[in-house]
Amino acid sequence: MLPLWVRRHLPGFQAPPERWQHMMHSYHGDEVVVLDCETSRFDKKQGELLSVAAVIVKGKHIMLSKALDLTIRSAAVTDAQAVKVHFLRQEDRLHGVSTAEAIERLLDFIGNRPICGFYIEYDRAILNRYIQELYQFQLYNRFIDVSELYARLSRKKHPESELDLTFEGLAAGLDVPIIDRHTALGDVISTALMYVKLSEFGLKEIAHG
Amino acid sequence: MTIQIDLSQPPFSLLSNDLLSWLTQRLDLVFFPAGAEIIAAGSESPGLFIVYKGVVEETDASGERVYAQYAHEDLFDVRAVLESTCKHRYVALQETLCYLLKAADFIRLLDQSTDFSVYFRPDLAAKQSLIDEKEGSVAEFILARIDEETLRPPLYVTGQTNLKRVAQLMDERNSDVVLVRTARGVGIVTGTDLLKATLLGDFTKQSKVSEIGQFELITVEYGDFLFNALLKMTQHHIERVVVMRDGDIVGLLELTDMLSVFSTHSHVIAMRIEQAKTLDDLTIAAQRLQSLIETLSEQGVKMQAMMELITRLNRRVMQRAFELIFPKRLQQSCCILVLGSEGRGEQILKTDQDNAVIYKHEHELEAIRPFLQQLHQALLSFGYPPCPGGVMFTNDAWIHSVEGWQQKIQRWLTAGTPDAMMNMAIMMDAEPVSGDAELFLPVKHAWQRPELRSSMTSAWFAKSALQFNTPLTFLGKIREEHGHIDIKKGGIFPIVHGVRTLAFEFGIDDCNTLKRLQHLQALNVLHDEVVQGLTDALLLFLRIRLRQQLQQSAVDNPGLNQQLSLASMRSVDRSLLRHALHRVKKFKQLLINHYHLENF
Repeated sequence: MLPLWVRRHLPGFQAPPERWQHMMHSYHGDEVVVLDCETSRFDKKQGELLSVAAVIVKGKHIMLSKALDLTIRSAAVTDAQAVKVHFLRQEDRLHGVSTAEAIERLLDFIGNRPICGFYIEYDRAILNRYIQELYQFQLYNRFIDVSELYARLSRKKHPESELDLTFEGLAAGLDVPIIDRHTALGDVISTALMYVKLSEFGLKEIAHG
Repeated sequence: MTIQIDLSQPPFSLLSNDLLSWLTQRLDLVFFPAGAEIIAAGSESPGLFIVYKGVVEETDASGERVYAQYAHEDLFDVRAVLESTCKHRYVALQETLCYLLKAADFIRLLDQSTDFSVYFRPDLAAKQSLIDEKEGSVAEFILARIDEETLRPPLYVTGQTNLKRVAQLMDERNSDVVLVRTARGVGIVTGTDLLKATLLGDFTKQSKVSEIGQFELITVEYGDFLFNALLKMTQHHIERVVVMRDGDIVGLLELTDMLSVFSTHSHVIAMRIEQAKTLDDLTIAAQRLQSLIETLSEQGVKMQAMMELITRLNRRVMQRAFELIFPKRLQQSCCILVLGSEGRGEQILKTDQDNAVIYKHEHELEAIRPFLQQLHQALLSFGYPPCPGGVMFTNDAWIHSVEGWQQKIQRWLTAGTPDAMMNMAIMMDAEPVSGDAELFLPVKHAWQRPELRSSMTSAWFAKSALQFNTPLTFLGKIREEHGHIDIKKGGIFPIVHGVRTLAFEFGIDDCNTLKRLQHLQALNVLHDEVVQGLTDALLLFLRIRLRQQLQQSAVDNPGLNQQLSLASMRSVDRSLLRHALHRVKKFKQLLINHYHLENF
């Protein structure tokens, strides 16, 4: 990533409010936040945030006990197709928190750590849409996509094989259990495991040249 | 929730709903690649690990000695969490995912839920005894709890009492210890203290007892394990501890009293057997054996000690019955043999009558028969069911003269049929219990001949140790059928029979499997760790089987039940069982290699 002083002068740079100033700085620790959002429908522009979960991964340690798992009190009309995926009916969302609170807590949670997920671009777009609206900035964090890591590693190891880049395909390929598929936290745990294993393989690859 | 282990089973089901939902918030998930060390020996354990996927092996620091393996939903290492360091090393054998409950959180659960902490107490005790069995230090013996029976009421004196008076009181009350009440609290003075004070120190008979009292009392809680009391005594080099209940002194616990608690029962029964004047007396004594076994098992007496004790008592019962039934003139006319598990001294709960007779003279046979019939009836009334296979001296096939037996054994050894093999195996474990034991020697020599130990005969004999599959799946987990495994076929028989075959080949005269193993070790036939592993495995099978058999004592002859229910086993036992079955499997492989059974 470009140094902060360069980025500051690029067109379109938006500084975050005082509270999240630290998010602009590049990260030097060894933790990663794995996150996943469930939306009312699969649409970057229209999909409303229904739930978001995140967990910190440090080395091989998935810190479930500090996980964030928020359901959002959203009045969004439940999409008949999507509800079959996330099982969040309007009734299930009644006891949730407001979108603003969810975003606020999420920002506090992730800080400037890299953010990792499965097709993380989608989650990034959704979150940025809300953050932009509420606080007029966008996430500066580094983003890591497990499917991309997986594809890169697999091509290196088995260049000619067909890749199954679905969530289930990755889980099978990496021998990772699928935990409560399509609950935000369940997906987060599986994704975190994929990440842990990929970084394990990755290190070996690098070590072996 | 997103926790992938079944929290609706013990120990977690013992938690209140509040604690349970708190627990689910406190679990972390940790990944270990194959070969990764999870806890190093001597290091601190970060908490309690609960295996979600994969297999973890527990070994000693060097990794040579394997203690147990853990798989789905097994927990480890409770002791390491409660003590400051972990004695053993834990390594992931495959890629492994564990939930981690941090030590502080686990302790908090123990503190807040009585049921939960009670669940882990026997686990700790079992672990403790297991380690003790292996290290042979403190016996597993003392798992009974401190109660009224074991306590002595304390003898109090005031601090002003002089030493002479204290000595008199001790003598009068036949006590070696007094408690001293003073303004600064209660102290303790023992006979040894008195001696040291007056003979080695400068105190006189008139000195005040408060001057020599020891005011830092070593105490234990009423209801605690006797075992813990023993540990304290050993730590402090003392022979008694003060027992507290709700902050008050309720009595003293003496080392000597403690040790006698365990032997009284068996003594009483042994006395009854010796003193029996009629068969009815003897029947009562014999029937008591079952409750003795229950008590010993509850107290956690070592399996090996228990087998020896019960075998000795069982044989004594047989001998007494023989003496009561047979007229003096016929007592030397025959030899009664016990066979099978009874002969090996490995029977605990009564199974069935396995016995045979060698008679001295043909012409006395008809005179002996009615008495044998009576003896058989007596055994039935003692609670030995008849042998379904007819291996009993009431059956003509199992009563012969010395020559008759020799011919029979010759035929068995050359027949090579499975039936002959099984009969030979039963006979090989024979032990004379009453009558003229001399008669047995020439019979035994019929199979203890070096030329018979040719590899073909032994190999043919060894083969049946392989006839049942070890109940392990391809992935190394226990293969159950409707939640049960047959422990005799799956575990006990292969060890017993394999060891019997090796004992036959190497001319070992003992019948007991553990003793045979020791001989095989001394002869360098089996490696030390194989012998240790098989000994541990066999004792574990017998212990778990006995525990489950005792739970079904409402059933007739629980001793005949070979089915182990996996569900009612503690997680620690399940993992030990799995590990022991792996050893059986390895032993079978050893037999295959040794006897070249690949092509049989």
